[in-house]
Amino acid sequence: MKGMRDPAALLLERLMRLLRWRLWIQEKLQPTEWQITLMWAAAAGFVGAMSSMLFSVMAEGIHEVMTGHHNAGVVETMRLLPWWGVIAVPATGGLLAGVTLLLGKRIARGQSSTDYMEAIVIGSGELPVRASLIKSAAALFSIGSGGSIGREGPMVQIAAVLASIIGRWRKFSPPQLRLLVACGAASGIASAYNAPIAGSFFVAEIILGTIAMESLGPLVVSAVVAALTVRGLTDAQQLYQVPPFKLSSAWEMIPYTVLGLLAGTLAPWFLRSLRRAEKWFVATTMPPIARLVIGGIIVGDIAVFYPEVAGNGYSVVLSILNGHIAWFALIGIMLAKWLATASSFGSGAPGGVFTPSLFMGASAGYLFGTAVNVFWPTGAADPQAFALVGMGAFLSAATYAPVMAVIMLFEMTLSYDIILPLLLSAVVAYYTAKGVQGESLYSESLRRKAAETPQATLPLGTVRDLMKQNPPVVPTTAHFAEIARMFLSVRVNNIYVTNPDGRFMGAVSLHDIKPYLGDADLAGLVIANDIMREDFPRIRPEQSLSDALGAFLGQTVERLPVIENDGRLLGSLSKSDLLLALVEKRQKPTA
Amino acid sequence: MLDLPGGSRETVLRTLHGRLAGNPAVLDADRLLRDVLERVMLATVCVSADTALPHARTNAVSRIVLAVARLAPPGVAFDPEHPQIRLVFLIGTPRAEVDSYLRLVGSISRLLRDPAAHDALLAAKSEPEFRAVLAGEVKA
Repeated sequence: MKGMRDPAALLLERLMRLLRWRLWIQEKLQPTEWQITLMWAAAAGFVGAMSSMLFSVMAEGIHEVMTGHHNAGVVETMRLLPWWGVIAVPATGGLLAGVTLLLGKRIARGQSSTDYMEAIVIGSGELPVRASLIKSAAALFSIGSGGSIGREGPMVQIAAVLASIIGRWRKFSPPQLRLLVACGAASGIASAYNAPIAGSFFVAEIILGTIAMESLGPLVVSAVVAALTVRGLTDAQQLYQVPPFKLSSAWEMIPYTVLGLLAGTLAPWFLRSLRRAEKWFVATTMPPIARLVIGGIIVGDIAVFYPEVAGNGYSVVLSILNGHIAWFALIGIMLAKWLATASSFGSGAPGGVFTPSLFMGASAGYLFGTAVNVFWPTGAADPQAFALVGMGAFLSAATYAPVMAVIMLFEMTLSYDIILPLLLSAVVAYYTAKGVQGESLYSESLRRKAAETPQATLPLGTVRDLMKQNPPVVPTTAHFAEIARMFLSVRVNNIYVTNPDGRFMGAVSLHDIKPYLGDADLAGLVIANDIMREDFPRIRPEQSLSDALGAFLGQTVERLPVIENDGRLLGSLSKSDLLLALVEKRQKPTA
Repeated sequence: MLDLPGGSRETVLRTLHGRLAGNPAVLDADRLLRDVLERVMLATVCVSADTALPHARTNAVSRIVLAVARLAPPGVAFDPEHPQIRLVFLIGTPRAEVDSYLRLVGSISRLLRDPAAHDALLAAKSEPEFRAVLAGEVKA
């Protein structure tokens, strides 16, 4: 009958029109791979911040339960406890941490104790969830009981684990997964220290070893979201509220330079002493629980005389920066803190040594500034300013990350006027430390781990190592409508076409078919064979990553098909994965 | 070609191909035929009950070529679902010209969707009249 349309044809026409609109909307809103990475970096930042806050609350809760004192700092609580309590609390914390680790071994049987740095630098980005949670639970007891150890380590680890879970859920490639774990770590630091810039640079400078935008961008997004989350949910301000510091005289730059030399010498000694303590505890052949208890008892014994050694040292640093501690008292506190940190760290108490490093730097800086002030007042008008600069210099020397150290000090104190001596001292400390000892706080253990597990260092040398398998494909006979539907279901701009043997025949480009999506007549007539581009660029699995980069040059595609010698489609290589892998490749530690 | 006598699908395609063989844009006539036949074997080329668009993207042509035929009633079977094809548009497209190919196929489809144009093609008394209907609608 004239004028009547086949209902099936009408339905198909409507479907194609709908597909065209959906595709148009999707294309306009379709994020690039980098935008998707940033989005997941933000998600990692949010969950990292939430987990850090939860960890902090739990650590405080455990401290309150163990000491019976509410709303008091760790140092203050230790002052309030009787002498036996000061010893018993860290010892009990060690016992509980040891029991947790022992029981946890059964739960997390077979899982390694990979930490986030190993996962990023020498691993695939996969972090063992159960083992990490158990270690973090043990850390809650070490920290909550007043162990001389930082809480930022476990906070960063948990944030990184959560990021790793997200990445595995989203089936990220190894370079993307490693980057997301790095984002989690950045969010953990940003939340722990309320320092988003330092959080980004800590990971970029220390772990990734690069500030290339491919990696720094997601780190910044993650750290900013984490800091915003913490600031939105708490009344967080800069970590250390300090009086305004300034450079009183250009002459002060001379003592500040000497302070850099001093910090650059002290920091390697400090780190070496921690490792010595660890070796000593291991050499005793005591079971881990006994080591942790002994470590707790030593800390408790020291805290009976110097309660300031308990905890990560935050409140003491604040007192030093605000001039509330006399220099002669600080000498004893500094030495006691050094010994207490070595005991906690050496006994295997899970936690970080980042904040204790700040403590050492502040003490050393203040004592040095005071000494200079006595003999040459013009050279060190304000010893507290030397404490602040000492923190940055010590951190720079311990981590081998002067840029991060300067930024972190600035963010934690918001003292910009002291930036010149801080910069100079941090750089001098960095070079001095490198001269004294070739490795930083983190690089030595990473190198050792890389040597122990050579297979962990991924041989990302060829396209095969990096490609993703099972890219979306259609057969040569796939109809236009089917191809359009596939473009809607997967976020790609080109769909590969294979024959029944799996041989790569070409690719259908979204760009080519987009204007014709509303044409229902094409839906049943046109097949992939009619519209595929046979000359689509491709790469071979054995090609090197540099060759693969060359293959992307001059192309607008975001992915290239990887084709075996016999023509079979093996997978696809993403340009963003390739760039990340090339950036990483330069930074791999050598075993 | 109007009212081409019936026969088989291949006969029709060979006849139309014969018309194109002398076209300077056809660089390799044999290959063009082979590619068209291969494509026809791969999947249906029919767009409606009485219309087929056999086509091929091929290196055998330097630009798009088109040959059209109206078959004498009752038409020719192109496949089991389309036993009475009357209008046949044979298209050869250079491999690189995906866009031109889709544009041409889309134009022909749109023309045939118009019942008046469809009927006019079936009712045309002469080749010039047939061409005029096509020329008014189809732009490659």
